[in-house]
Order: sequence, then structure tokens, then C-alpha cells
Amino acid sequence: MSASRSRRRGLHLLLGLAAVLAAWPGWAGAAEEVTSPISRYREREMSTGFYEEYEVRPRRMLPYVPGGPQARKGVVSASTQVSALVGLGFLSDAHQGIKFYERRTCQECHPEQARSMHATRAKITCRQCHGGEPMASVNHYYSPLNPIRRHAYVCAKCHAGASASFATYVVHEPLPTSLATQKSFPLLFYVFWIMMALAVGTFALFIPHALVWGLREFIHKIKEGRHEH
Amino acid sequence: MSTEARLRRFSPAQRLFHVTLMLCFAIQSATGLARLFSETPWGQGVGRLFGGYEASLTVHKYVGLCMLALFVAHVLYLLATLRRRGLAAVLGPDSIAPAPADLKQFFQHVGWMLGLTNHPRFDRWGYWEKFDYWAVFWGMAIIGGTGLLLWDPLASSALMPGWGINLALWVHRLEAALAMAHVFLIHFFIGHLRPHSFPMDMAMFEGSVSLEASRGERAAWVERLEQTGALPGALVQPAAPARRLLFLVFGFAVMAFCLYLLVGGLANVTRVTW
Repeated sequence: MSASRSRRRGLHLLLGLAAVLAAWPGWAGAAEEVTSPISRYREREMSTGFYEEYEVRPRRMLPYVPGGPQARKGVVSASTQVSALVGLGFLSDAHQGIKFYERRTCQECHPEQARSMHATRAKITCRQCHGGEPMASVNHYYSPLNPIRRHAYVCAKCHAGASASFATYVVHEPLPTSLATQKSFPLLFYVFWIMMALAVGTFALFIPHALVWGLREFIHKIKEGRHEH
Repeated sequence: MSTEARLRRFSPAQRLFHVTLMLCFAIQSATGLARLFSETPWGQGVGRLFGGYEASLTVHKYVGLCMLALFVAHVLYLLATLRRRGLAAVLGPDSIAPAPADLKQFFQHVGWMLGLTNHPRFDRWGYWEKFDYWAVFWGMAIIGGTGLLLWDPLASSALMPGWGINLALWVHRLEAALAMAHVFLIHFFIGHLRPHSFPMDMAMFEGSVSLEASRGERAAWVERLEQTGALPGALVQPAAPARRLLFLVFGFAVMAFCLYLLVGGLANVTRVTW
């Protein structure tokens, strides 16, 4: 009797947990598409006759600062004129004023950006995401790569259904070993080195352990062989 | 050979767990490395065994799922054992749970290797065997957990920010590299190469070990069985020679394949864009 009751209570607890989990908004819940509440745009919709059925509320969610905090000054040193500009990430033509621009390849000035799995594995070219000329800076208001629309305009071309959260995947991932990554993507840096410490610790202990053990047994076997003869 | 007394060491269920884990692990290593090394001819060659770059991922995902199912089955098996045998299953001398004595035996064993102390009197499981067992546990949790996150990045990025995929992939890779290197170097060395085991320690396949050899290697275990009078019940028949040959061929085939992966991976490590 009491056993079946406690079992039932356990079942209820599990069902309750499942219900809470199912209803959990999730960390990236804010990035999902929602129907616009009538009150918000009502006046504009009424006056313009343009009705938005959906709107997207993205979050930046970026742990990754390209190039680190000092990136603003001179890291993309294609031209002194350009790097002298304030707000490099907000230009309508990111390459304006660069000499012999038409003669150059993207990798000449951005060698680090060629090192991404999208390029090496899927053979995706720069322009497939960054678009044609003039190429706007990623934070320019009308750039397809602007984080407010990146997921829908760029990622979703291949990853159907991409959300704003999905689009915060760092395509141009910095090398986790590099010290600069400690500033630009600290979580990746620390996760990498913690895992490396675990591996190095394991091998520093067990490789010499196995070798000395094998050597000891080998010597022991030779000695035994001598005793027999 | 048939007159030699054999002591039962692993149950059929435990041997089944090991052999399925071993097959899954070899397939996961190969398909994972085929993806990781897809820029190199070597990696493409490994991938072709499974039908190419895309098919390797499909195989990797479903075999990974099998491995997780195996893990769940093993946890259920542990719970059933706990229910059947009570806390003695954890605290008793037959337990694979780490105990303070293991640390002592480790130092004594190292002392013995250097010729400073006597050989420690191991019970049923040595500290290195306990480490190997629990390493699979933590590896399953880390690789399996990140693997589930990587299964469908679109779905998992609804539960966490998308840059979590960057972290999950690196954790998955590094833990897998650690697991492969540990199994291919250390586990194989202990099971095959060291003089005691050479050419192959078959205990995990035939389920039994030589009683005479165990008297020296695991003195506390044999002595305990003798004192409690459990020894006669723990003696089993040796496996037939044909079966032993099968174990030998199977063990060496899997080991050769895994060493091919290890050498190929190490040789091509600089050819990958990291």
C-alpha cells in the first residue's frame, strides 16, 4: 500500500519535472520568434498599413570579441587610413580607400579568417557569407551579417531554421592555444587548457608507470630464466 | 594446459560489456578521426571505410547512441548489483570503487618496480584497473554529453548560446583524444605488451585467470577466497584452444586497427587546420 503510494508519488514527481523542463524557456528563449504584441506597434501598423506578423528579439550573447579589446586600433591593418577610422565595424563599405583592393584576395589581409571549418571542410568562400561589393562591416546597420539578422540572412541559407542563438557560434574560431584567445574568447581558452591539463596529468603519470612496470617485469623474467638454467 | 586451475574473474555480462564497448570505441575512433583528419589523404582513406565524410558522421552518431545505451545499461546493471548484494558491493573487497588502500598500493607498486619494496598484495582489482574503469565513466559523461549537444546544433542552441557549440566540439575532441591515447598506448601496453601479458591477457575474454599466477599477483584475493571457502566455487574450466585462438585473433585485429589510427593520427596532426 505505502510502497505503491510512494511509487505513485515518485511518478508524479517525475511527471512534474518533465512538465517544468518542457515549459522551461531556455537560456536562448529570448531569441525565438514571437508574434508581436498588439500594443507595441499598433500605432505604426495602423498609420502605415504595414503589419509585422513576427519580430525577432535577438541577444548579442557574444563571449567573443574579435581580436580582443584592443582590436579597434590597428589590428586589421590593411591600411593606416582605414584603421585610423573610429568604429571600424560600422562602415557601409569596410574596404573603402584600401589601395589596390581589386587586386588583392581576402586571405592576404585576413589570413586568420581563412582558418575556419566552414572554409576548410565545407569549402565555403568568404563572399558566400560576407556578400558582394561593397562589403559592409558586420555591425553596419544594413549588413546581412549584422547580429540582428545574421541568423536569418546568412546562417539559414544552409542551416534552415537557424536562430539568433545559433548564429552566435564563432565561425572564425580563434586558436584556443593562443594567448590572445584568453582575451578574445576566454571560455574557449580555459576549457582547452583545463582539458589539456587533464590529459597531460594522466600521461605524465601513466606512461612512465607503464614503462617502468614493463621494464621491471622484463628484468624479472630474464633473472628467472637464468635461475632455471 | 587443461589441468591448470582457472579462477573466475569476469562474469559473462561483464565480458559482453567489454567486447561491445571495445567494438563501439574502435568504430567511434575511426569515424571521429576520419572527420577530424578529413583534410588529409589519410583521414579521407579512413572515412572511405565507412562510406565517406558525410556517412562517417552518420555512423559516428548512431554508434555513439549505442554506446550511450550501453552506458545506461551498465548503470542499470550496477544498480541491480547494488540491490542484490547491498552496500558490500561498493565497500567490500570485490568492489571496483576506489579505496584509500589503492593509493598505498600504488606507491608500494612503484617501489616494487624500482626494487625498493615487496610486491603489494593486490586484491581483486588493482588501482590501474580501477582507474581504467572510472576513466571510461567520466569519458562517457563528457564525450557522450558533448556529443548529444553536437548531434543537432540547431536544437542545442535553443538550450544554450550558439558559441557553446565551439566549446562542446573542443571538449569532445580533447576528451576523445585523451581516451584514445590512453587506450591505444597504456591499456594496450598493460594488456598485451608487458612481459606478464604478452602476447595477450585474455582474462577479459575468457573470463578466468590462472590460479597459480594469481597467487603471486593478487595474493590478497586468492587468500581471501581460500579463507572464506569460496575458492572451489570460483574455479572454472579453461576455454577451449579454438576459442582462445579466436580471442587472440580478434584482440590483435582490433589492436592493429587502433594502432593504425594512433600512428596515422599522430603522423598527420600537423596537416590539419586547427
